[in-house]
Amino acid sequence: MPDTHIEFRDIDKVFPGQHALKAVSFAVERGEVHALLGENGAGKSTLLNILHGIFAPTRGAVLIDGKPATFANVHDAIGAGVIKVHQEINLVPEMTVLQNIFLGCEITRHGLVDRRAMQAETQKLLASLGCRFGPDERVKFLNVGEMQMVQIAKAIHLRASIVSFDEPTSSLTDREVETLFQVILRLKAEGITILYISHKLDEIYRICDRATVLRDGAYIATFPVAGLPKERLIKSMVGRDVAMFAKRHRPRCVDWQDVMLRVINASGNSGFRNVTFDLHRGEILGFFGLVGAGRTETMRGVFGADRLTSGAIELHGREVAIKSPADATAHRIGLAPENRKTQGFVKVLNNRDNIALASLDKFQVGPFQSHSAKAKHAAQMGDKVNLTPNDPAFFTANLSGGNQQKVVIAKWLTTDADILMLDEPTKGIDVGAKSEIYALMEELVHQGKGIIMVSGELPEIIGMSDRIVVMHDGCISAILHRDEFDEARILTYAVGGGVDEPEAISQEQ
Amino acid sequence: MRSGVAWMSLKQFLKNNSREVGLLVALVVMTALFGAINPLYVSPANITDIVNQATIYGLMALGMTFIVISGGIDLSVGSVLALIGVIVANMAVAGIHPLLCIAAGIAIGFGVGAMNGFMVAKMNLQPFVATLGAMSFIRGFAYVISGGYPVIGIPASYRTMVDGMLFNGIRTSILIFLIVAVVCHILLKHTKFGNYTYAIGGNEEATRLSGVKVDRYKILVYAVGVSCTAVAALVQLGKLGTGEASAGQGYELNAIAAVAIGGASMAGGRGGIVGTVLGALLFAGLKVGLIVVGVDTFWQYVATGLVIVIAAYSEKIQSKLSETSGRVRAWGEPSPGASKAAGD
Repeated sequence: MPDTHIEFRDIDKVFPGQHALKAVSFAVERGEVHALLGENGAGKSTLLNILHGIFAPTRGAVLIDGKPATFANVHDAIGAGVIKVHQEINLVPEMTVLQNIFLGCEITRHGLVDRRAMQAETQKLLASLGCRFGPDERVKFLNVGEMQMVQIAKAIHLRASIVSFDEPTSSLTDREVETLFQVILRLKAEGITILYISHKLDEIYRICDRATVLRDGAYIATFPVAGLPKERLIKSMVGRDVAMFAKRHRPRCVDWQDVMLRVINASGNSGFRNVTFDLHRGEILGFFGLVGAGRTETMRGVFGADRLTSGAIELHGREVAIKSPADATAHRIGLAPENRKTQGFVKVLNNRDNIALASLDKFQVGPFQSHSAKAKHAAQMGDKVNLTPNDPAFFTANLSGGNQQKVVIAKWLTTDADILMLDEPTKGIDVGAKSEIYALMEELVHQGKGIIMVSGELPEIIGMSDRIVVMHDGCISAILHRDEFDEARILTYAVGGGVDEPEAISQEQ
Repeated sequence: MRSGVAWMSLKQFLKNNSREVGLLVALVVMTALFGAINPLYVSPANITDIVNQATIYGLMALGMTFIVISGGIDLSVGSVLALIGVIVANMAVAGIHPLLCIAAGIAIGFGVGAMNGFMVAKMNLQPFVATLGAMSFIRGFAYVISGGYPVIGIPASYRTMVDGMLFNGIRTSILIFLIVAVVCHILLKHTKFGNYTYAIGGNEEATRLSGVKVDRYKILVYAVGVSCTAVAALVQLGKLGTGEASAGQGYELNAIAAVAIGGASMAGGRGGIVGTVLGALLFAGLKVGLIVVGVDTFWQYVATGLVIVIAAYSEKIQSKLSETSGRVRAWGEPSPGASKAAGD
């Protein structure tokens, strides 16, 4: 006997120029973990935002327990126990865990805050979630996973009956993901209904009961997850078969004689030591490691964004001094940073200006910048990287994640960079756009560029790389050739164990 | 169908320049309002007077526009006005050629600005604090140099050069303001320097990671910005005929107000010269208007303050409106300020 908790009835949402949701109807049962699946732009987040009162639906209604529950704002939704654990964590960093949990609902006695009561309550909440930090810890000292726990504690404290998660694991370590899953299952056991957005299918299979697939704003189907073939799920999401994504489709093209970049014994204060590796022409060099292994820091060090404390960098056999990103750019190195939105592009600029940003000298006519040349160039680049919409006047910030990444890559192609360092190039990007980024990478190495791809996703690393550098705790623990690619082996190196001594794994963390 | 095309491009123009158009409308409405109460307000003499008044902090606001768009602020410009006034007055009195005086004044402005920029870019001080310090020690230097006495006896050759009468009451100073405004507009919209100014204000880290020498451009932004104040100081000296160490107190706030009314974002990344010029005119027109219609001096402050807040609020509403009518945004992300394309 299904017990319907939330019903989406005929929901339409029209934004100017975009029909984001088209007559979406489905029901979510009480106490289930319900996944929302679909490519970026399929309408998942829009639907959640309607549930949480952030947007009003253009047509249709949300029913909770059979009653219309179209909230006017987030505050009303929270009051009704409908709470969102945010993708971009929204806590006040300078305040303590306790203050954050009780922000807006402080317990007061005679008009003064009752610290003791709040302390006891927070203590209880944290203990029940198995948190290892105290109520007086400042949030800024917590890591992402712990901050999420604070948000969940707050949701429990507010007696949530519906909690939604939007990509909760995108910046968590494996261990933190594990903790999060246990907490989610606990919430479920308490009868709380969970809505869960993720691009990682494995997670869906781990914790979700049912999954609803959206495509281009339309409802496709709701599946019970258990026993559902993965291929079928993917197929329904993208409407085409991408079972073969994260694979190389063209012949390998590494020129092993041509070392483009050689990093020798590089160390930096940001957390990497004695890093030595080569990048060859036509090579995709994968950099794998767990969160905190020092991969991003290494890239930033080589790029000059952080200072190297020792070590050397050789380009095409000649030692060069790279002291700033400007030096790196001049040496035709490009970096697509991990935090695309905060470091990859400039929000207030449109595609034209973001693509041109690193190469304004090229668009100089006398003392002036030629905007028309930039626009023309941006349109050409857009074609090359398959940007949609390919409109130079479109603001990069308004594009989907995959297209934003294409703009960042287009920026570096404009500089004629021949070494590209792509840090988590497909993070938070849907399956369809991922395969486009992969195809673009393959095209670029065929043009004779060298690519370093930092990634924490094994299938991607294994599928795309010519060699894999595995990092652990700031050092390179292995450099593997293609015939040595093996998930277990790579993971063993990543957690710091040697291949012959698997017991070392247990000592880690 | 030609008219249809023209209509579309007009609509696009209005949308892309909604802030400027809004300011223009506000300016016209305000002028009409004051004019209706007191017809003297719209007399050519009075309007010339308004523009005249707008030149000094208008010039300062032009420079401030660069600094604000880059994500900074400069509180020292009022003091810079005094310092340059005192130094150049001494030079002019000593009989140095006016052109040389002008060159020296602008060089000092550029230097002081570069110093402020250095504190912000290289010493990593917050612009507010760094220039708060500069505000005090620059004023101090002005007093030290002048000994606290006004420098009088500026030769007429200098005064006519920067504030002579051209025709019909139009002064050289107005022409200077216009020329500087045009130069600033071109600098901001059509040069590499201008492009970087927007990019740095929009996202400094992303700009640095794009290989831009951000520090160098930030220093340049302050140098150019304060150079505009130098021009204001030179004009002011011509207008008043005395250089005083106490000049320009609080002018930095007028300049910032004009920039804010003009639609620049204090968070950086957005703004423009046309908006700032209109903002300065609106500000001056309001001040003169309140006097002309006989509002009590004390209430003038209240009214001026209210206008700044209302202008800032209308900017908020405007960007909200353009969010819903502009190009599609990715949801859950902060507004990129949908209707203004930097560099357009």
